[in-house]
This record gives sequence, structure tokens and C-alpha cells, in this order.
Amino acid sequence: MVGLVIGLIWGAVAVFGLTAVAGLVWAVQHGQMERFAEGARSIFDDEEPVGEATDATLRRPRQSDPEMGPEHKEGA
Amino acid sequence: MSSSDKAAVGTSQAPAEDLVWRADVDRSCRVPVGFFFASAVFWLLVGTLLAVLAAKKMHTPEFLANWEFLTFGRIRPAHLNTTIFGWASMAGVGVLLWLEARLCRVRLPLGGLLVAGCTLWNVAVAGGTYEILAGRGTSVEWLEFPYFWSFFFAGVFGVVMVASIMMFSARRVSHIYVSQWYLFGSVLWFPFLYLMANTLIHPGALGGVVQAVANWWFAHNVLGLWFTPVGLATVYYLLPKLLGVPIHSYHLSILGFWTLALFYNWAGTHHLIGGPIPAWLVTVGIVGSMMMFIPVGTVAINHHMTMRGHFHRLLDSPTLRFTVFGAMSYTAVSVQGSLTSLRMVNEVGHFTHYTVAHAHLGVYAFFTMVMFGAIYYIAPRLFHREWASARFISLHFWTVAVGIALYWVGLTLGGWRQGLMMNDPDIPFLDTMAFTVPYLWSRTLAGVLMAVGHVVFAVLVWRMVFGPGGLRTGPTLLRPRVAAGGEGVDA
Repeated sequence: MVGLVIGLIWGAVAVFGLTAVAGLVWAVQHGQMERFAEGARSIFDDEEPVGEATDATLRRPRQSDPEMGPEHKEGA
Repeated sequence: MSSSDKAAVGTSQAPAEDLVWRADVDRSCRVPVGFFFASAVFWLLVGTLLAVLAAKKMHTPEFLANWEFLTFGRIRPAHLNTTIFGWASMAGVGVLLWLEARLCRVRLPLGGLLVAGCTLWNVAVAGGTYEILAGRGTSVEWLEFPYFWSFFFAGVFGVVMVASIMMFSARRVSHIYVSQWYLFGSVLWFPFLYLMANTLIHPGALGGVVQAVANWWFAHNVLGLWFTPVGLATVYYLLPKLLGVPIHSYHLSILGFWTLALFYNWAGTHHLIGGPIPAWLVTVGIVGSMMMFIPVGTVAINHHMTMRGHFHRLLDSPTLRFTVFGAMSYTAVSVQGSLTSLRMVNEVGHFTHYTVAHAHLGVYAFFTMVMFGAIYYIAPRLFHREWASARFISLHFWTVAVGIALYWVGLTLGGWRQGLMMNDPDIPFLDTMAFTVPYLWSRTLAGVLMAVGHVVFAVLVWRMVFGPGGLRTGPTLLRPRVAAGGEGVDA
């Protein structure tokens, strides 16, 4: 019984490892390991571009601040 | 209508495609994710109350000792399970679903099923907690809810898994961002881990030391394969978005994920150092723990280098404050964890308050702080409202930040000295216990501080979900736009 249980546990560990290896193979085959610089920028777009912060909840509004639109300054 | 509302309506330019899909995604998440968040905050309050009671009982054991259901042996596991399965997991599922929908750029599917699942999850946490307080807990650490309730959690995890696979399959982006790897890993691994541990342990198939092996393999992987991937996925998304800069080294972030996937699940048996199990089993756990320096190093370098030159932004964004606090704590708890797995360190820290401090550094200082930050970011986008009070947000941050720092410092110092004293046969055990009392008081004080912060946070969330007034725009939503159909969408 003890052997069975230890086998199950290490079998599960092996399944976790094989899942990871399978995912890694899939990622390589599908080009996910290429163009990393492009990948890092994939969460940005025209409306939330690089260089633009997306939260300033605690910031006191400053009219001279170029980062924020006029609506933000009024609503802050 | 506030001035900002008028400003929003007055901005009549047509929304860009990016604004439209983001608003659409957020709308699809509003009810299911909002329900998970609200439930999580409720269980955070319950878990906190139980935590403060348990902390006080550690140095004042006669406190509320006349009621069986309030004895330490019941309150402590009730606290653990309400915070793990109530607060942390429900907040984690909410953040996971929103992040996956955003990263895949598709609407959240199975909304009705997820709401039903969230209801079932609440029932299971309530039922399991009642059973623990009634004296029917299992005494298996991290799995104290009776076996029956595990089927509820497994069922809901199944729905979350199906929803994740559907979003991944329908994704409208070719590149899989690093956060998606972490999220998909957690969604695929944890349900299997949870079911296997419950099936092995609860029906009585295991006993004695073998049960302990399975128990700690599971308990450690709750952190490694559930909370850690969700927490790191959140940091890897929020940090660049908040700062407006890509992550410092995307190569390192990918390396970090794959090395975590390969090494973390081996580490659990280091909890059994000194126990009557085969030495090789413990050694494998220690080796796995030391290998964790690789993914932890990649994350630490990435987080710090991404933040470099932007630390002044901590003044602006509550999400950034909580996220950076959590990210730094991740490095700290991981390094501490790897070192604690060494036999020479473990023989002092094991069975002391040092271990309790370490656990809270992981689940609270890392994961909970990241979840606070994520909710501060996500909720305004779900409900199209601004947070009710910036002062309350600051109060929340400082009470919980000072609270967990005090908690960790007090119990780490006290616990380490406690371990040294317990290893000295010339020191009577009661002297060791008496020595720890001041440190236990610091724990209670820290707990009260964190409790204040949690109440403040709950008030803010309540105002966010049920607050008066219509849509508002301001410092979180930043740039209001007007969609083609006339509804405001946020940037």
C-alpha cells in the first residue's frame, strides 16, 4: 500500500513535469520562443501605449502634467 | 452628474478598436468576477476575525476558553481555510478570469456557470468552516474541510478550467504573454493536485507518515502551483501596464516560468526534515527548493530592473504600491524558503513561530498584497466607478504593510530564538514558552492593524460595488471615451 501511494505521488509529479515539457515543446514548435521584444510589448496598444501610465488614483491633479487628459484633472 | 461625467460625455470622438474590445471584455467579467471579488472580501473579514482571536489565545489561553467552538484547535484551522479557500482562492480566481479574458482579448465565457460556481464555492467554504468549528475538521493541515466539501471546490475548479481553455482556444492574439503561461499552468495543475490529494488522504487510503508525505506535497504546492503562478502572472501584467514600460527582460520572465514549472512541485517534502521518512525523499525536496533560486532570481531581477527609475510612481498608484510590496515579498519569502529547506536551518526553525511568519510572508505579504493591488486596478474597470476615498486607500496600505512587517519581524526573531532554546536541553520547556509571549503580543498587535486595513478595504469595495451615483471617470480610468453606442468606455 505504501509503495502504491508513493508511486501515485511521484507519478503525479511526473505528470506535472511531462505537462510542462509538452507545453515547452509546443511553445517552441509554434514560435512562442521567438521575437521576445515583440512579445514583451504585446500587452500595449494604440490606446494604452508604451510610455503611458494606466493608474494615478493617489495623484494630486496638476494642470501642467502632460500624462493626463483634462478629464482626469477634473475628476481627480 | 459630476464635472468629470460631463467631460466624459463631451469627449465625443469615436472609440478606437482597442477601447471597444477592452470595454466588451470588462462588461463580460463584471458580474462573475465582481461576485468572486465581493465573496473574497467577505471571507477576508471572517478569516481576519478568526485570526485575531487565535492570535490572542496564543498568549492569553483563557480568553473565550469556555466555548468549545472557540478553542484554538478549531479557530486556527477555521482561519486558515477561510483565508486560503475563501479570500485568497476566490480573489485569485477573479483576477485569473479577468486577466485571461484581457490577455486573450475575448469575452469571458460561461458567465452564468461561473456565478453558480461562485455561489457553490461560498456554500462550501461556509459549510466546511462550520464543520471545523463544530469539531469535525479532518486535522490534515490545509485540507481541514471534510471530504464532502472538496467535491464542490473541484467542480468549480472544473468550470474555471473549461472557461480558461475556451478563452485560450479562442484567443485573438498570436503571442502568448508570460502571464498567460503562469495562469494556464495554475489552471491545469491545481485541480489535479487538489483532487489527487483529497482522494489519497481523506478516504483513509493513507495513514501515518505516508499521509504526512502526501499532505505536505499538497500543501506546499498550493503555494507553488496555485498562488504563486496567479500572483506572478498578475505582477507581470500590472507592473508594465502601470508604468507604461515593457518588462525589463522578457527572456528572463519566460525562463522563470519554465524553471518554476520544472522545479517547484518537487519541494514539498522539505517540510518533513527530521521525520521518519526515507532520507532521499527529503533530499529530493531540498534539491528542488534550492533549484528554485533560478526562477526566483529571474523574477527578482525583472521586477527590480523594471521598477528602476520609476519608484516615484509609488506615490501615484495604489495598485503599484501593493504590487511592488507583493513582488518584493515574493523574492524575500522564496529566498527564505529555499534557505529554510536546508537541514541545518530547519532544525532550528521547524516547529516554531518562525515557520508561521514564513507562511504569512508568502500568503499575505506576497499573494494577498498583489491581490489587493489587482482589485484596486480591476474593480473600477468592471464597475466604471472611481474608488470612494484616496485617504482610505492609503490607510489600507499603511495598516496592512506595517501590520505584516511587524508580524514577520516579531515572529521570525521570536521563533528563531524559540528554536535555539528548544534545542538546548538545559532550558526548561516552560521557560521557552514564557520567552515567546512578548513576540506573540506583537503578533496580536499586527493582526489588529491588518484587521483595521481589511475593514477599510471592505468599505471601499462595498462603495465600489453598491455605491451611489452612475458612471464616473477620474484618476483610475484616466481617459474617458464615448463608444459608438453612446456608452462610456475606459481606456
